[in-house]
This record gives sequence, structure tokens and C-alpha cells, in this order.
Amino acid sequence: MALRARQKIRAPRRGLTVTKTDDFETNWKDLSTSLRKIHTKDASNLSFEQLYRNSYNIVLMMRGEELYERIKVLEREWLEEEVQKRVTASISPSLLLATHVDVQDQANERREAGERFLAVLKEAWEDHQLCMGMITDVLMYMDRVMSTDHRKPSIYVVVMALFRDHVLRSPIRPDTKTTVYDVLESTVLFMIQLERSGHIIDRPLIRHCIYMLEGLYETITEEESSKLYLTVFEPAFLEASRKFYQAEGRRLLETGDAATFCKSAMDRLSEETERCIDTLSSLTEAKIKDVLDNELIKNNIAEVVKLEGTGARNMLDNDRIDNLRSIYVLSARVDSKKTPLTTAVQKRIVEMGREVNASAIASAAPSKKPEAGEKKPSEKEKPVNLQTVAAIKWVDDILALKAKFDNIWQNAFQCDQVMQSAITSSFSEFINLSQGAADSRSSEYLSLFFDENLKKGIKGKTDSEVDTLLDNGITLLRYIKDKDMFEAYYKKHLSRRLLMKRSVSMDAERQMISKMKMEVGNQFTQRLEAMFKDMTISEDLTSSYKEHVRQSSDPDQKKVELDINVLTSTMWPMEIMSNVRSEDVQLSCIFPKEVESVKQSFEQFYLGKHNGRKLSWQASMGTADIRATFQRSNGKTQRHELNVSTYAMIILLLFNDVPAGESLTYTEIQAQTRIPDHDLIRNLQSLAVAPKTRVLKKDPMSKDVKPTDKFFFNHDFQSPFMKVRIGVVSGSANKVENQDQRKETEKKMSEERGASIEAAIVRIMKQRKTLIHSQLMNEVLTQLSARFVPDVNMIKKRIESLIDREYLERVEEDPPTYGYVA
Amino acid sequence: MTAEPKVLRKDQLEVSLHNEKKLIKEGAIKDDNPLDLSEPFRELCNACRKGDLKVCQEKITEGVNINARDPYDYTPLILASLCGHYEVVQLLLESGALCERDTFQGERCLYNALNDRIRNLLLEYDYSKSTDPLQPLAAHITSLLTRETPKTSDIVVTAADESLYLHKFILAARSPYFHSKLEPAPETSTWRLPNTIPPEAFGTAIKYLYFGEAPRDLRSGPGTGFTESEVFAGIDKIAKHLEINTLVDSILDSGDRRLARQRRTMEVAKGRDQLEQWFRANVLKHKVTVETSKADEVKWDRDNAIFADVLLQADELPEDVEAEQVDGADSGFSDPRVPMSTLFPCHRAMLLRSEFFQTMFASSFREAHMKDHLNVINVNCSPDVLEIVLTFLYTERADFPLDIAVDVLFASDMLFIEKLKTKAAIVISTLGSGNMSQAEAARTRGTKEEDDLDIYAIIRAAWLTRVQRLEEFAARYLAYRLEAHIDSPEFAELIQESASRIQSRQETDSIELLDDIRFYLGERFRLRFDDAGIEEMMEDATQPAAGVETNGDVDKVTEGVETMRLSTERSTPGQAASKGAEQAVIRTLDGEIVVDEFDQDALNYQILMDKLDQILENLNLDA
Repeated sequence: MALRARQKIRAPRRGLTVTKTDDFETNWKDLSTSLRKIHTKDASNLSFEQLYRNSYNIVLMMRGEELYERIKVLEREWLEEEVQKRVTASISPSLLLATHVDVQDQANERREAGERFLAVLKEAWEDHQLCMGMITDVLMYMDRVMSTDHRKPSIYVVVMALFRDHVLRSPIRPDTKTTVYDVLESTVLFMIQLERSGHIIDRPLIRHCIYMLEGLYETITEEESSKLYLTVFEPAFLEASRKFYQAEGRRLLETGDAATFCKSAMDRLSEETERCIDTLSSLTEAKIKDVLDNELIKNNIAEVVKLEGTGARNMLDNDRIDNLRSIYVLSARVDSKKTPLTTAVQKRIVEMGREVNASAIASAAPSKKPEAGEKKPSEKEKPVNLQTVAAIKWVDDILALKAKFDNIWQNAFQCDQVMQSAITSSFSEFINLSQGAADSRSSEYLSLFFDENLKKGIKGKTDSEVDTLLDNGITLLRYIKDKDMFEAYYKKHLSRRLLMKRSVSMDAERQMISKMKMEVGNQFTQRLEAMFKDMTISEDLTSSYKEHVRQSSDPDQKKVELDINVLTSTMWPMEIMSNVRSEDVQLSCIFPKEVESVKQSFEQFYLGKHNGRKLSWQASMGTADIRATFQRSNGKTQRHELNVSTYAMIILLLFNDVPAGESLTYTEIQAQTRIPDHDLIRNLQSLAVAPKTRVLKKDPMSKDVKPTDKFFFNHDFQSPFMKVRIGVVSGSANKVENQDQRKETEKKMSEERGASIEAAIVRIMKQRKTLIHSQLMNEVLTQLSARFVPDVNMIKKRIESLIDREYLERVEEDPPTYGYVA
Repeated sequence: MTAEPKVLRKDQLEVSLHNEKKLIKEGAIKDDNPLDLSEPFRELCNACRKGDLKVCQEKITEGVNINARDPYDYTPLILASLCGHYEVVQLLLESGALCERDTFQGERCLYNALNDRIRNLLLEYDYSKSTDPLQPLAAHITSLLTRETPKTSDIVVTAADESLYLHKFILAARSPYFHSKLEPAPETSTWRLPNTIPPEAFGTAIKYLYFGEAPRDLRSGPGTGFTESEVFAGIDKIAKHLEINTLVDSILDSGDRRLARQRRTMEVAKGRDQLEQWFRANVLKHKVTVETSKADEVKWDRDNAIFADVLLQADELPEDVEAEQVDGADSGFSDPRVPMSTLFPCHRAMLLRSEFFQTMFASSFREAHMKDHLNVINVNCSPDVLEIVLTFLYTERADFPLDIAVDVLFASDMLFIEKLKTKAAIVISTLGSGNMSQAEAARTRGTKEEDDLDIYAIIRAAWLTRVQRLEEFAARYLAYRLEAHIDSPEFAELIQESASRIQSRQETDSIELLDDIRFYLGERFRLRFDDAGIEEMMEDATQPAAGVETNGDVDKVTEGVETMRLSTERSTPGQAASKGAEQAVIRTLDGEIVVDEFDQDALNYQILMDKLDQILENLNLDA
């Protein structure tokens, strides 16, 4: 300890003191021998510590750089003399042939040679990696010093680059330019080509060679993007694939079968994914798919969709869900809008829709045949029914069509939004399509469909079935643009159902209303609901009136029983009920005195309850049950209970006062009853002409009723039933309107629309005070679009009229601007 | 600094002090800074005031608590930062002095820091960034539980159906139970614990033995098959079984963050002590010294009582042998002329802390092969150094004297043990600084003293091992003793070497060593002026001094010093006259007679700078 007590710090004892070159050489000799042993896989007895110490000593001698350079030389020599030779030796001439080898034998031969070559290369690479891992471990200290003091890349990186330059990029023979890499590339591409044409190849082998390319970089800094795989191989692979898929696309198109095309394309897609995972690198997956998308799909999909006989149209017609799904998936890959497919689908929907429309018209055709006949006020019963049937068939057809496409949309188009809106717009398009000269009848048809179902269709169906049925109808309602038209028809049909008590189920009716409310909104169903309300109130009213009668009058007296419906005139389609044709004031008909007294008594009762209301009687809408006694010629009497319209009741009661055998002429009847001509004729027809319900006899016997015709009470009336229901010819049942009626409805409609438009304009202007014309138009259109599509001209007219009536004023001419007049 | 770190106001500090005192009184937290009235601590405090690096390092090595406080509530760190001794502050922080935001003492350090440079240094070492100095050791041992290559485990311990691959020496060191069971039967390779212990409790206990942190919450309740109380009971049971008493406490007390941390620090320290104890009692005790030529013949069975799985061999160098011979202490029984080697039985699991060994054991070279007898691996350093290295790897302790520090530096550089390397650099730069403390430098101006250390060797070692800190130290050392070195040919040679290093680096066209020396020369003479305490001069000096600290620009310093010199000349005639009268004749380095010490300094500085330029000229270097 005496020496140490001096506190003299000792110079480092190693490294610095030994600077003689021979020591460097000794160390290097040991080291290089050992490194060669590592290469020849004879390393198990080498000591890590010994080798490390050798390199450490050299670095401490400040000769680190020299060591670094010598290692590089050593490795280069090893690679050039051993590895490169071994690799080039494994290249057989068949590998150098042109890329296209058609003959099967040659292909086989080349493939075997290729596998041999790849195996040798793979082994060389793996050996190199392993050895260099070991060598780098040993040279750890040198690496550290080199990288901090001299900013040199790690020796590992450098020797990897050596492998790249002296093995991969060395010419296979001194006299050619072809490098080992070129052979590798063409071999791998050849293998892939083989696999694409259905052969089985050694995937792991190729994968290992790809690992090699992924482990080598173009630059010494080893950026991700400079991997040899990315810089050299991948572009070549993509180019080869591009060519392959161009040809493949052509080939598949030539087969002319869309389904085959789709299947092949799908197969190729999954095949390439698999290839990227198993054989190449997952880095390429997106890129090769791009190639597929562009070359195979994008360039061909439009034609595939259009392919005659096998294209989208055929698939749609035959519900080839699988094929449609493939074609959809393929389209979706290349185009988010899937233009060719959507166009094809839309076109097909409209076509099919037109067919439905056309068949509806065709089945309704008999009524249309004679142009003149149509104009006649009364139409024959049969064609009318036919038309109704046609209407219902139309709705059913469309629903079937809709179901078909919904199915396709769900199962083949993966509930795609774009497809959905395309399908919806196509449906909307053909449903609102005007049929020939006439406007679309879809509103009416749909309303009829509901009417039919609510009257008959839902009988015996379960709640959920009814629900689906109504839902289907509502779906169609969604497509209809002129919802106000539908509302008008529905109201009309509903009023008949309610007044005639034709509805099967009031629950279903209410359900329907609430569904419509959800679909179209509150405003739409307001009036319909009011109608229901009137009905309930009337029921109460009737029963309280009965109570009143029972209390106030003599119970023995035979009274006419009264069921009354008090309807709010604004909510019900009065025009339809009163059948007002002309402008003349219609005098109310004369009721028989028994009825009249009841009527007065009710009026008294009602007005006593509600002050200031006016009751107007709608005889045309009522029905009556009367008991008729028929004196048969054989002396027997036959009683029947007749259910007739109110007018018919009035007419029949006239005959109470007519002695047997006497007759009344049409004019007489009319004078005594003041029933409007139109109704009178129809009622007389149903009483005297309709074969099963001839309670009256007519002279002369013909279908038409003339003022001079005479009517007798028919005592020989025969019916198998005790109760006989005598309908009124036309008018009472809900049927397709004839041309005149339609015109009527349309006129009503346009009046109502005019009012709606005016209301909308005023609403908007009241809020905005001044507004440019175009903006006003826009706002009106958006406000009303939920109900109908307003006609621009009509809006303009309404604006004019509002200006005339001084609701609006013109504020400016350019641009035209309106102001609100308060 | 972009975002200025927030420093608490004085009143906020007082509030936090009050709160902390209250908590300590209540016993909720441990006092981080206990009162220490011992003599060594007083010396440490004084050294911190004066900036005496050497004494500081000595006291720290002695084991004085650097986080204690003196009767005036000063901690060494506060003193050093208050007095502006950057190097001392750095040393204290590196040795584990706490400067934690949100504690009273921590904020006080920041508050009192003399300048921004020190304050930023303190902020860098805030607890959130620096960790317990023992953390690397703890982390390594914990990582052994999951590390797969190279395989180091030598026992499989099973409880219920859960098996863990563990290390006998850690189990034996940490658990008296295993110690007593394994020592008589070192060949044991599997061990079963009672099946009744829940796996969760077993895992927790093993993790505890491996220095792991206590789990935040125990996996229990539905799905695990055990209720919380069952797991706790299990932990209690296994703690009793393995005789590790503090296990349950360590889990229960993990509520409060600071408390948990304190407890963890204690636990790790305790674990380290256990490991150290075991290390000294087994590894060091079983080292054997044999003739180098026979070292290879030493056969250790794999199943040895201390569970070693490798033998490290360190050869003594001839000079060591001579030294031993002179000492005649522990090598008396062997023939002194024969080269001797010392073999240390070690555990690969611990050696893995060195990247050198990690690579070695993971490679496919001879050392990595498992044989019946333990591999003997030669380590290129002396037995003393190897012992220091091993002590560090096993215990994180690195206390060694200056005379061996350079060897430790080389060994740790070779073995890639960065922390030990830093530590060696610290030892050299603090203990080696000798009379360099500011106060003493002032006292011993110009006097030639016997050098303690071969500074040329140090600087070359610094270059070889790439330790910036050591390069700076050497430059500073040279600057403070430039008179003694400037004329020697060795010095010129060194400058030449430094210049050639730079050429190979191709970084700048300046000579790093020379720039450093100039920098410290400026510092040296500026300090001299500062010490004189002339007010006017201080004002002038403040500006350039700030420049020095922030960007270390050499030119500026030089300029600054020159202005100072001028102002000295202008402002001191009166004083000079009186001083001159009192003192004997003062001569500069070239023998010229000057009026007073200040003039002497000024001229000396100029002379030294000229001489540096002269050397450059002679060496044909541009700088």
C-alpha cells in the first residue's frame, strides 16, 4: 500500500503502451483467422472474449479505422470468392431463357432449375446473416467507436451492402451484364406466373428470397423506403402483374360471361392477398390490389355490367344474388359511386316499373277502348271493377318489385347507401312517371290499394301480417311526389269506408293513420284524424238522441230509427258526396213525412245542444233499412228487408201511396222528391235495372232512364235472402275514377294547391319581409316538397295574384324582389 | 428555454413548509432531510459552500447522507446552488441528492439557485425525470423474470399450477427460507410451494423478491376464483413461509404517492443490502487466486453452493505482482514470479447488465455453451478492477479510490457499463481536481506543486473512452496549471494530437483541447479578479460572465477578460499603491516586476495566451 499512498494516478496500463505494428498484425491475424472460421461454420470453439479482446486492442491502438477497412476487404473477398461463385454456379442456362416459356417441358425444367438457384441463394443469404451477426457481436467495441467518433455506419450495415454489391449485383458471367439479381427477379416472376396459371410452387422458398430483398437497402442509412424489395423487385412485379391482368381482363371479356368474370376477379383478389402474405411481402398488398383494380376491374367493369345476356340485367332478372354481390364488390373497389352498376340497376328498375305501369293500363284497357264511351257519365260496371283490380295489381306488382330489389340490396349490395338512394330514386321516377298523356295515377292506385285491403284484404289476417301489408303501402307512399293528391284520394275513399261502414277493422284504420303520420307528418293526417273524431262523436250523438227520443215521446209509437253522422264540412270531401256538378243551388230533396219529422226532431235536438251550427243533410251518403211487403200474384205475401240508399228509400216510399198497378213517371218522381237528376237516375237504375234487385219495374225496359219512363212497384220481386242489399250503381263503391272524375279531382287539387302555395308564400314573406324572386321560389319549393311538387308557373301566378290583392309588392326589378305588405 | 419553469413565491413556499412539517410530525411521511449534526456532514456542507469538489466526493464516498440538513435547515444541495458551484451541484445530483418540485427543500433549492444555469440543472433532475439511483439495479432484476434469452434461470418454483423460472441466488439472497433450503442442496432444480397459496399471492411474493413494485391492485374477486381477503391471506401466508416480513406492508401502504415512493426506496435499498451482503459473503468470499497457466484447469461444478454459473478470470499484470510482492500481504503463499489470476464465481443473470456479457451469452460462441463445468471467461482487467465491476453489477455500489479509477474507466468502457464509466469519470474529475477548488486556486497562485496525476494520460484516456466530462476536466486542470505545462514538449505533443483528432472527425476547424483550455484560463483569471472584490470591476464583469455561462463562447470570454483587465488598470491605482508598499516585489512569469498582484495576473494571462499562440505557430496549426 505504500506505493498507492502516494496517490499517484497510474497511467492506463493497456492499449496505449502497445503501439507496435506487429502487435496490430498479431491481433489482426488472430481475428481474421477466426472470422474465416466463422464463415466456414467452425466457430463453436472460438472464444467471444478472445475475439473481442483482439478487436478491442486494435481499437485502443487507435487503429480502429484500419480494422474497419480490413474487415470490409475480408468480407468482400469472401463474398466474391466463395459466395458469389457458389451462387452463380447454381444458375443453369434454362433460367436465362426469355420470360415466356410456353412449352410445358421447358417450364418444368426451368422451374426445377429456378428452385435450385433460389435455394442456393437463400442459403448463402442466411449464412451471411448468421455469420455477420456473430462478427458484429465480436466487433461491438469497434462499432461503437466508429459510429461515435467517425460517424461511420455499423459494420453490419456495411457488409450487408457488400452482399448486395458483390453477390446480388455481380454479373453471372464475366462477359454478360446479367446480374444475379436479374436472374433472381426473372425466376421469382416466372414462379409467380406459374402459380397464377394454376401450378403449385414452393412458396416458403420464394418468401425467404424476398426476406433477403427486404433486408437489403439501397443506401447505407437504411431508410424504410430504400429496401431493395421496394426499389427494384416490387416495381418489376407490379409491371409484370399489370401486363398479366390486362391480358386476363381481355381474355375474360371474350368469354362473354359476366358471372365468370366476377368469379375470376374475386378469386384473383384473394389469390393476390394470399400471395402477398405467403410468398411476397405484405407491403405489396395494397399496391397489387391497385393494379388489379385498375387493370382488371376498372377497365372492364362497365363492359361486364353491360354484357348482353349475362350482365347485370340478367342477374337482376334472375335474382343471381351471388353474382350481383361479386359485381357489386368489384365495382365498389374501383368507384365509390359504382356508376356502371347503379346505372344498370336504375335502368332496369325503370324498365320493370314501366312494364308494371303498362300492364296496369293494359288490364284497365277495355274501359279506355272507346274514346267516346269514356266521356259518358256512367261507365259500365265491369270495366270499372277491372280497373280497380288493375290498380291493386299495380300496387302488388310494385311491391313485389320493391321486395325483389330490397332483397338484392340487402344481400348483394351489402346495404350500400349509394345503391339505396339510386334504387329509391328509380322507383320514385317510374312511379311518378306520367303514363302517356294522363298524369300518374299512382296516388289513386295506392289509395285504392289501401281501400281494398282495409275493406276486404285484411280479413282473417294476423296483426303482424296487416302491419307488413300497411308498411309496404307506406313504402310506396314514400315514392309518391304528389302527396296531396294521395291525401285527397285517401280522404275520399276513407269517407266512404267510414260512412258506409265498410272498414273491416277500425284498429287497422287507426294504425294506418299513425303510420302515415310517421311517414309524412302531422299536417298530412290532421284532417283524416278529424274524420275519425267526427265518427266517434256521431256515435255518442246518436245514442244520446235515441235516449232523448225514448224519454220525450210515446214509447208505443212506431218511430223511424235514426243513425246520424255529423260531419265537419271542412274536414270531409263534401264535393264528392254532394256530387255538385253545376253551379245552381240545389234544393234539398223532399223527405217523406215520417222521415221529415224525425229529421226535424233531430235538428231540434242537435241545435239545442250546439248553438249556431248549421246542419245540412247529405241524403246521397245515407242508407236506410226498410221492410217491404210484396203481394205475390198467387196471393201470398213475401217480406224482405231492403237495405237501400236514402234516395232509394225516398223513391220506394213514394210507391206506398201509389195504388197497385199504377205507375209513376220519372218526371213525377223527380217532382215529388227533388232528388238530383244524376242521383235519381242511378238510384232508379239500381232499383229497376240491376237484375237481382228489381224492386221496381220499368217501362220500357232498357238500361237508360228517360224522363218519360214509367215505374211500377214489382210485387214479383224474388230474392233468396231475407235481407237484400241494393247498392247504388256506381259512386258508392270506391273505384278508379273515370276521365271526368279525374279532371274534377285535378281541378280541386289545383285549387287546393293554389291555396297551399299562397299560404306558403305569405308565410315566407311575413318572416323575411323582402326576398329575391329566385330565393322565394326555392323556399316555396322546399316548404311544399313534402306534400307535392309545385308547378313553377303556378307559383308565379300565385305571386302575381298576391300582388294584385296587395299582400305583396314589387320592391325592385333587377333582380326581381318582392316585399311583404303588412 | 422556451417555457420558463414556474418557481413558487416565497409565501407559497412557507405554506408548503408548514404542511410538510405537519405531515412529518404526524408520521405520515418520512423526513427526507433529517437533521445531521455530525462532523463529516459539517465538512461536507463547508465543502459545498467553498465548492471543493474533492472533499465533496470524499465525503459522499464515506457515506455521509447528502440529503440531510444542518442546524440552519440547509442541505448540501441548497448550499452548493446558493453559492453557485455548478460542478458541486452536478456531483450532488448525480449522487442522489433530491431536488423535488412540490417539496419545501426542493423548491428552496430552485429559489436559491445563484444563476439560471444551476436552476436549469436542478430542474433537469426533478424527481419525475431522475429516479432512485438504485432503480436500474431493481429494474434489471425485475426484468430477469420475463427475460427469455439468454436463459439464466436455474430453478423452477411451483405453487398450485403456476410455475416460474427463477434464480437460486436471488431467492437465497432475498429469502431466508430459500437460503436455508437451497444452500445444503444446490443441485435442486425444482421447488414446490404448498398448493394452498393462491397464484396471485405467489406471483406478488416472487415479484417482491425480484425488486418489483407492489401491484396497484390485486387481481381478485369474481373470475379469479379468489376473494380479495383470500389473496391477502395467501400473501400473508407466503410471506411467513418465505420469511419475508415486509411483503404485506409493501402492498398495504401503496396509497399515498409520496409515501409509496419512500417505502419503495427503502425496500429497494433493503433489497440491495441483502444482495450485497450475499454477494460479499458468497461471490467475493469464493474468489480463488491461481497461477494464470493453471486457471483453465479450475473446474467448478455446475451445482455449486453459491449457484454460480460462470467463472470470471482476471489476470494480474506483472507490475501488480510486484506491488503484491512489496506488500507481501495476501499473496504470500504463491510464488511471486509466476503470473497469477483471480477467478470470481459469478451469475450470468447479473452479468447481463453489461452489454458485453449480454452479447456474449446470447451469441453462439464458446462462452455461451453450457457444459458440466463452469466456463472460465477471461476479462481483460486486473482482479481489483474486476471486483469493482462485479460489485457494481451486483449492488450498484461504485466506491473506489482515485488510483484505480482510470483502470475502472477502461474496464467499464470495454464492458459497456455506462453508469460505472460515468462514475469513474466523476471520481477522476473530482478527486483528481486536487487544489483546483476556487478558494485554493486563489491561495496557491503560480506556486509549482507536485502533480498528483498524469494529466496527459488522463486526457488520452478521455479521448479513447469518449468521456466529454473528462476532457473538460483535463482542460480545466491544465488551464489552472498552465505555467507548469506550457513549455514542456509533451504539452505541444498533446495539442498536436488533439488537432489531429479533429481532422479525422472533420467537424470543425478548431482544436477542442485548446479552446477548452482558453475557456478555463479565462475562468481562472476572472475568478482571481472576483476574489479581490472590487465593486466597479464586478459591474463590468457581470455582463461577459453571463456570456460565458450561457454559450461558452471563447472569444467573448477573452474579450471579457480583456475589458476587465483594462478596468483593473484604471480603477486600482490607489489600492495598488498601498498594497505594493506592503508586499515584496512581485514578478510576472517572465520575471518583470509589477506593481501588484492584479497587474501580475493580467500580464500573466497575456503571457500564457501568447504562449498558446506560439505553440500553434510552431505546430503549423490554424485555430
